[in-house]
Amino acid sequence: MGTSTENASVEQQLLSFLEERTKTPWTPDRDLFADGGLSSLFAMELVVHLESTYDIMVAGPDLQLMNFRTVNAMVAMVDRLRQAAGE
Amino acid sequence: MNDREALVSELVGDRADTWDLTGLIPAEPLRKLGEAGLLCGELPEQYGGLGLSSLDNGRFTAHVGSLCSSLRSVMTSQGMAAWTIQRLGSAQQRADHLPRLTSGTLAAVGFSEPEAGSDLSAISTEIRPDGDDVVVDGRKVWVTAAHYAHLLVIFGRYGDGAAAVLVPADAPGVTVERVADPMGCRAAGHAGIRLDSVRLPRGHVLGGAGAALTMLVTAALSYGRMSVAWGCVGILRACLAAASRHAKSREQFGRPLAQHQLIGGHLADLLVAEQTATRVCEHASHRWDEGSPDMVTAAVLAKHVGATQAAAAAATAVQVLASAGASDGHVVARAYRDAKLMEIIEGSNELCRLMLAQHALSVSG
Repeated sequence: MGTSTENASVEQQLLSFLEERTKTPWTPDRDLFADGGLSSLFAMELVVHLESTYDIMVAGPDLQLMNFRTVNAMVAMVDRLRQAAGE
Repeated sequence: MNDREALVSELVGDRADTWDLTGLIPAEPLRKLGEAGLLCGELPEQYGGLGLSSLDNGRFTAHVGSLCSSLRSVMTSQGMAAWTIQRLGSAQQRADHLPRLTSGTLAAVGFSEPEAGSDLSAISTEIRPDGDDVVVDGRKVWVTAAHYAHLLVIFGRYGDGAAAVLVPADAPGVTVERVADPMGCRAAGHAGIRLDSVRLPRGHVLGGAGAALTMLVTAALSYGRMSVAWGCVGILRACLAAASRHAKSREQFGRPLAQHQLIGGHLADLLVAEQTATRVCEHASHRWDEGSPDMVTAAVLAKHVGATQAAAAAATAVQVLASAGASDGHVVARAYRDAKLMEIIEGSNELCRLMLAQHALSVSG
């Protein structure tokens, strides 16, 4: 697990990214696709953003909508993939 | 013209119309281009590829597209297969399979099925774990380059999710049957594929599988859309060149066609179309090379603009050449048929517009 400070930082960065891209404020637990109406195309944009920002690769079974459904889910995945890359 | 463009110009020569009429690209140009790494130019050097940027590969793709859309379609398939393995495969799978794509192996990617065209969520091909193996059952249609391919990348259902699996074209249970007389890109090797209880080692399933079908397909198709978009730029350049040459040389009413204002208007429209598609493709390639999240939407936009501009412009070019270009064996007649297919594959015009509309809503606040 990353430190709570690192995860809080990722959370804040993702909230800022989403707000900038969608011109809408977000909360960490808001469902982007159900409540937010974002498209699967936008989900792939999130994949590219996470990969380029956090130097991770989201591949294979991690390409699940549930991993991108909320900011909380994305923070958890980034943390997990960073840990795996560091091992 | 750089070395890459010179090589493909030499290999195609004046044979594109013959390939179109016979429905077949000979083995030698495919082998030479494949072994030179030019069928999937963006493949990183660590896997034996050229490691071209999206922009450089796009410009090369446009050059190939200006010569022969069937050959460009084979390139799109090879590049999309490489991208899919690179994007979804494990490190071991990338190391095992990607170098083959620049060593003579040709590949094709199967998405569409009899009941799943634009609605790929209706895919019914099943990839079923069975001990250390998987068993694949299903049917794919209109798989570009499948007639030439040694390796098939097949998308299907896998448990509650989806997966892509690598299927050797000569595996027991695989039947590849050419599409008879396709309207356009006639030599692109379009074929239907039947998969009857095809048993493969589980390691042929890319990336462990179980991902969301929409995300897998979007990831794979993004490359295909870029390639088709640049190919459309090539079609536009071929049409602009043919129409301009004809308008300068053909005289009617005592002067060259180009001096008739209505024909001049057509030439201007062709130039606008070619420049519009080129700039949108350059924008998308820049986004791709920067690793920007915009690249996904930019690829859809480029494909849609390229295809619609190419289809309209090819019709205009046939109009300018009239009877001189209205028979098989002429570049604008071929472009007219090829360009129409570009409005259907890799996301139809309608699907692209829906995706772009959804994107507009997503970022509208």
